[in-house]
Amino acid sequence: MMLLLEIKEKIKEIYYRNKPYVDPVWKFGMALAVFMVINLQLGYDERLTSFPVVLVLSLLAAFTGPGALVFLAGALAIAQVFSASMLLAVVVAIVFLLMYCLVLRFTPRFSYVIVLTPILFVLKLPYCVPLLLGTISAPSAILPMSCGIITYYMFLAIQAASNSTFGVSIEDALNIYKIVVGSVFSNKEMLVCLLAFAAALLITYIIRRQSFNHAFEIGIIAGAIVLVLGFLMGSMVFSVGEILPVAIGTLISALLAIVIWFFRMGLDYTAVERVQFEDDDYYYYVKAVPKISVTVPEKNVKRINHPKKPGRVSEQEFDED
Amino acid sequence: MLNEKKVRVMTRLALSEKKHGKENFNISKYYKSDYIRYSLLKTVLSVTIGYALILGMLALYHAEYLIANAVKLDYNEIGLYVLGIYLALLLVYSGITVVIALVRYARASRFEKKYGNVLGRLCKLYEDEAEAKQEGLGK
Repeated sequence: MMLLLEIKEKIKEIYYRNKPYVDPVWKFGMALAVFMVINLQLGYDERLTSFPVVLVLSLLAAFTGPGALVFLAGALAIAQVFSASMLLAVVVAIVFLLMYCLVLRFTPRFSYVIVLTPILFVLKLPYCVPLLLGTISAPSAILPMSCGIITYYMFLAIQAASNSTFGVSIEDALNIYKIVVGSVFSNKEMLVCLLAFAAALLITYIIRRQSFNHAFEIGIIAGAIVLVLGFLMGSMVFSVGEILPVAIGTLISALLAIVIWFFRMGLDYTAVERVQFEDDDYYYYVKAVPKISVTVPEKNVKRINHPKKPGRVSEQEFDED
Repeated sequence: MLNEKKVRVMTRLALSEKKHGKENFNISKYYKSDYIRYSLLKTVLSVTIGYALILGMLALYHAEYLIANAVKLDYNEIGLYVLGIYLALLLVYSGITVVIALVRYARASRFEKKYGNVLGRLCKLYEDEAEAKQEGLGK
């Protein structure tokens, strides 16, 4: 444990020192992953799937706020769907607008959850979303998380619909629309997912707020158990999904959530800040560096003088004799 | 000559302004009642747009049925139903908006008070500096 804490402090120290460079790199990597997964799922337009376009979009997201990443991801998804069907692109745009009007306007802090949830679904690790949100946020995060789940299942439905061939008449467009909307809202797997994720987030949140020791770890474990039980009940009632992949995914997600929480624990978000201001005489360009308490391992040197064991004679004593 | 105390206070002000200033100053420029009304107005607008979009999507989904039964439909009943849901949605969202607006306004007021205290300290430092200058000139 001590070794882990030391590693954490060292990582924090390196991060504080190199924050201006680490932040854009980390954001660039994240944006690259997001855009590549979107293109992997909805790669209908080859021009948008090409690496230079993804690179430019990622660079743009790296040097702007998290809102820009959400906007660019949404725009890319709409543009990709537009290549498959114009009506579906309009539907996706309307769904995103709906999410903004009814959910994101009230929880703007969690807008990134809508982007990250589908990405984690693709990586087969969506179960860490409720566990992590339960430890770092409030129950209101259920709403953006649900939007993320709906977005993922909507993309799945679009993928399935685009595989079948349709004409270009209004009737055909309406048919695609009906198939996609119908398959999203009658999807039992999505319903189970929504309910299990919401219950897991709530349980994790309630337990981590308690004052007993290891409340966070117990919260994550309890959330993971609720997730597995939720999916088990869902598979029994609606006969959807298999429980083994869910159990394995939840186990990995719980471990991941504990590791992320461990590294996040104690972070007070104070990092090197640069500010500039002026008074009557000077311009000030100040770099404010937070004081960091790095745990230095204590080295206790214990001197033990062995008493001479009876019956043994050293070489020197032997020679003297 | 740099006044270290002044630099420290100014840095603290600049840091808090950079971190939380924009959002909190935007809120605290309103009276409490005005801010709540403004938030409510935005909510009513977004709920109306959202509800209209939902209705549009539903109408498109049931387009065939609606066209086939356009003459038989009881528009009064449908209208009342649609209006009832809209009002219920508006009520729920308005309640949530008022709570969020109150919490945000209280937070912004606390921030402004703290900011004002540090600003007062800076003014005092300026006054002390001016006095010291005057004394220097007098001698």
